[in-house]
Amino acid sequence: MIETLILLTIALPWLGALVVWRVGDDRPTVQNAVAVGFALASGVAALGMLPLAKPGTALSFAVGGAFGDFTFVADGLGVFLAVVATVVGSLAVIFSVDYMRGEAQLGRYYALVLFFIGAMAGLVLSSNLLLVFVFWEITALCSYALISFNNDDPKAVAGGIKALIMTQLGGIGLLAGALLVYAHTGSYDINVFMQQAHTLPAALLTVMAFGFLIAAAAKSAQFPFQTWLPDAMEAPTPISALIHAATMVNAGVYLLARFYPAFEAVPGWRTAVVVVGLLSAFLSAIMALVATDLKRVLAYSTVSQLGYMVYAIGAGGVFASQFHLLSHSVFKALLFLGAGAVIHAAGTRDMRQMGALGKHMPFVRNVFIIGALALAGIPILNGFWSKELVLEAGLAHGPLWAYLVMLIGAGLTACYTLRCVWMVFFGAPATHHHVHDAGKAMRIALAPLAFGVLTTWLLAGAFGHLLAETLPFHEMEAETTLSVIEEVVTAPATLVALAVVGLGLLAWWQRGVLKGLLYALRAVARLAEDSFGFEAVNRGVVRWTQSVAEALRPTQTGILSWNVLGILAALIVVALILVLGA
Amino acid sequence: MQWSFPMIVIVVVLGLLGIGFYGLLIVRNLIKVVVALQVLAKGAMLALVLAGELAGQIYIGDSMAITLIVADTIVAVIGLALAVQVRRHIGSLDIGHLSKLRR
Repeated sequence: MIETLILLTIALPWLGALVVWRVGDDRPTVQNAVAVGFALASGVAALGMLPLAKPGTALSFAVGGAFGDFTFVADGLGVFLAVVATVVGSLAVIFSVDYMRGEAQLGRYYALVLFFIGAMAGLVLSSNLLLVFVFWEITALCSYALISFNNDDPKAVAGGIKALIMTQLGGIGLLAGALLVYAHTGSYDINVFMQQAHTLPAALLTVMAFGFLIAAAAKSAQFPFQTWLPDAMEAPTPISALIHAATMVNAGVYLLARFYPAFEAVPGWRTAVVVVGLLSAFLSAIMALVATDLKRVLAYSTVSQLGYMVYAIGAGGVFASQFHLLSHSVFKALLFLGAGAVIHAAGTRDMRQMGALGKHMPFVRNVFIIGALALAGIPILNGFWSKELVLEAGLAHGPLWAYLVMLIGAGLTACYTLRCVWMVFFGAPATHHHVHDAGKAMRIALAPLAFGVLTTWLLAGAFGHLLAETLPFHEMEAETTLSVIEEVVTAPATLVALAVVGLGLLAWWQRGVLKGLLYALRAVARLAEDSFGFEAVNRGVVRWTQSVAEALRPTQTGILSWNVLGILAALIVVALILVLGA
Repeated sequence: MQWSFPMIVIVVVLGLLGIGFYGLLIVRNLIKVVVALQVLAKGAMLALVLAGELAGQIYIGDSMAITLIVADTIVAVIGLALAVQVRRHIGSLDIGHLSKLRR
C-alpha cells in the first residue's frame, strides 16, 4: 500500500507534466484542468501516506552495480515534506489558473511546475544518496527554468542562471558527501550510513558534515549564498510561492534535519550551523526592512525564517525546526499568493506605488494580514507557536548570545512585516490603476492556506508523534499538543519574545520619533540595500563560472571525429587506471 | 601458446571495437557512420555476454545484450532516417557539410 503511494506521489506529477505538455497551448482550459487534477491527486496520495508512515526502507529497486539499490523511505520526515510539497504545490497550481490566464506557453509552465513538485517529493522520499542527488539537481534545473520563465526578460534569465550556479555549488557538496559515504560503507543507503556513522573516521565525518552544510546553505539560500533567492523574484509569483514555501528551499533544511544525528558530535559543526542560521536570519531581516519591492521583502523574510530553522537544528531542536518549516510553508505560501493577487491587480511590485489597496481588495487584505501576523509571531497563529519553540530550543541548548540575536531578529521581523502590510494595504493611496479583488481560483487557493495558518499549530502533538515514532536515529520525545501549548505559554522566554515583537511593532508606529535614529543608521541601511557586499561576491562567482564556460566553448566543435577521439581517449585512461590500480 | 575460448572472444571484441572506432574516426559518409556504430555496438554486446559468462551470471549478460539489440536497432533506424533527410535537404551525405548548417 505505502509502496504504491510513494510511487504515485512522485509519478503522478511527472505523468501530469507529460500530459499537460501533450495537450498543447491552444487548449488552455484542458491544460488548467489536467495540471490541477494531477497536482491534487499527488497531494491526496501524499496525505494518504501520513497514517502509514514507518521507519526504514519502504520500497527498494535493485538496479545492481555501482548505483546500489534505489531505496525509498516513508518515515515522518520524508512523508511530511512530501505532503508540504504536493499540497502547497497544488494550491500554487490552482492559483496559477487565474494568475497565468492568457499567458503564452502555458504548457511549458505547468509541465515544469509539475515536474518540480514530483522531483521534490522524490528528493525527500528517497533514501539512496545518489538518487537524492539526482532529484536535488532536477529541482535545481526546474527552478532555473521557471525563474527564467519569461525568457525574453534579461533580468529573469540572469536570476535563473544565478540560482542555478549558486545551488550547483551546494550540489557539489552533496555529491562529494554521497561518494564518501559509498567509499566507506559500500552503500548509498542513508539508513546504513546512520547506523555506521559513529564507526566512521572522525576526519571523514567532519568533511561530510561541512560538505552537507554548504549544500544546505546553498539550497536554502542561507549565508553566504543568500542573494540568489531575492533575484529569483523575477519568476511568476506562483513560482515564487512554490520555491519559497513548498519545494526547493525546504530541501536544505531537510538535509540538515535528516543527517543531524550523524553529525551532531562533529566538533564545531553545531556552532557553524547556529552561526549560519543566525547570520541569515539577522542580516536578511535588516534587508527586508529597507527593501521596497513587495516580493523582495517576502524573499528576504524567507531567508530570515529559514535561518530560524537552521538555527534550531544547530541548537538540537529538530522538531522545532520542522514544525517551523510547516508553519512557514503555510503562511509564506499564503503571503506569496496574496502578494501575487496584489501584483496582478496593481500591475507593479513596488510598494511605494501601492498604498490603500485594502479598500479595493478586502479579501486579499484579510488573508494577507493573517499570514503577516503569523510571520510576525503574533499569538495564536501557527507562526507564533513554532517560532517560540525554535527560540526555546535555542535558549535551552544553544549559546546565549545567539539567542539574543535571534530575539532581536524576531523584533525586526515584526517591524518589517507591519511596514509591508502598511505600505501595501493602508497609508496614502498612490497612483491608482483599475484595482480588482482576487479571482475565483485565487480565492480557492488562498482560503485553505488562511485556514491552515489559523489551525496547523493544533497538529503539533500529532506531528511530534509522527516524527518521534518513525525516525529511529533522532532522539525526540513525543509530546501532546496540550503539553506543547503549556510549555510555550508558561515559559518566561515567551513573554520576553512577545515583548520584543511588541517593541518591533511599536518601532514602526513610532517611526517619526525614531527618524533621528534611522538617520544615524543610514550607512547600515545603505549596506543592507547592497546585501552587505555579499551580492558582489555571489555575482563574482556567477561571472567567473560563466567566463570559464565561455573559455571552454571551443572544445565543443560539433565534429564527430573529434568527439569520438575524446571518447576513445577517456576509455583508454579509464582502462589504464583500472589496470594500474588493480 | 594455448588460446582459451575467452581469449579468442576478447580478441574478437577488441577487433570489432577497433573497426568501429576506426570507422567513426575516419569515415564521413553518414550511412557508413551508422554502420560503424553498429559494428562498435556488436563488439560491446559480445563483451557483455562474455562478462556475464565469466561472472557466472550469464542471464544478466544475456538480458543486457538483448536490451542493447533493441536500443541499437532504434539507433540504426533513426540514424538512417536522418541520413535520408540530410540527403534530401543538402544533397549530400557528407557529415562535414552538416556543420555548415550552423549559419
